[in-house]
Amino acid sequence: MERLGVGIGWRPEIDLTVERLPGVDFVEVVAENLRPDHLPESVVLLRERGVPVLPHAVSLSLGGADPVDPARVAHLGALAEVLDAPLVSDHVCFVRAGGLDSGHLMPVPRTREALDVLVANVRAAQADLPVPLALENVAALLDWPGGELTEGRFLAELVARTDCLLLVDVANLHANARNLGTDVDRFLDEIPLERLAYVHVAGGVEHQGVYHDTHAHAVRPEVLEVLARLRERVDPPGVLLERDDDYPADAELAAELAAIRAVVG
Amino acid sequence: MTGPQRDRLAAAQAELLRALLAGGEPPAGFDRDRLRIEARALLNKRRGIVAALRPDLVEALGERFRPLFDDYARAHPRREGTRMRQDAAAFAEWAAARGELEPPRKRRWWQRRAT
Repeated sequence: MERLGVGIGWRPEIDLTVERLPGVDFVEVVAENLRPDHLPESVVLLRERGVPVLPHAVSLSLGGADPVDPARVAHLGALAEVLDAPLVSDHVCFVRAGGLDSGHLMPVPRTREALDVLVANVRAAQADLPVPLALENVAALLDWPGGELTEGRFLAELVARTDCLLLVDVANLHANARNLGTDVDRFLDEIPLERLAYVHVAGGVEHQGVYHDTHAHAVRPEVLEVLARLRERVDPPGVLLERDDDYPADAELAAELAAIRAVVG
Repeated sequence: MTGPQRDRLAAAQAELLRALLAGGEPPAGFDRDRLRIEARALLNKRRGIVAALRPDLVEALGERFRPLFDDYARAHPRREGTRMRQDAAAFAEWAAARGELEPPRKRRWWQRRAT
């Protein structure tokens, strides 16, 4: 797996911050917010410096019942090519159903039947992408009834059947441990860590006993603890900090990157 | 190959989103409290994005922004293919139609007020 190092999510609101923060080895861009033929100047600058820029999609709805939309896959592929990205990613989730758009990454039922549909969608997307596809575990506030597999087994089978890469979000894993009772160690033991492309770290907030993965708050120590438990098992090729709102001062983001670096060494 | 599976999954996912976004019946087997928490989280996210896209609406409506947006959102779940900017514009129209917001002015900046 390609070494990526420590990175941060590039967002237009913090473009200058990302450019001048020390120790940013790679960045990620939200694929739906960029046009391959009109890249933001800041992203072009980062590419000119040799910083890898990885497109991260949020709208393929690979866990949805509908076949994947070829136009969305083509957009993601075109971005990968223009950015010369080593890989692209999206989530194990659905965002659309019954004509409605949830506006968020919804968990899929952990049943064999839902897995079959997900596998078919992932294969269809892979067939049209120029680079490998990594898939990310999402944070859930609720659980589907009738789950037949643990989340770790579900992801392991997905990898076995599609040969996709994994993007493990340790904040999402913490969220599911807190909200749904997911066993963090079991999850990390069950997933094929040799297929780990990189790791996401993000901030969140606890409200009335429920952890909300907001990407608008500081990274909590419990999340870094999950990162440490992952690090006990594998040296992750990359770790990326995601911040999407309520942007703090540069120094605060730099401190969070340093804290991540301290854990993964 | 995945036809029947897709149909069953489509029905289950549509039922869940209807419950979370459009006031539909809670689907069997789900924790009611969690459905409420998820519905509120989705509404908060949608309202937050609209507020970020249209600070003018937040300013014009003040404390009424939140309750009005929530009424609008529950009655108008976001349809597939609707962009957030369109959602924000639809909310502005909805609020104007209810007399909560002045309709967009036709007057240009260089024109004097009529009276």
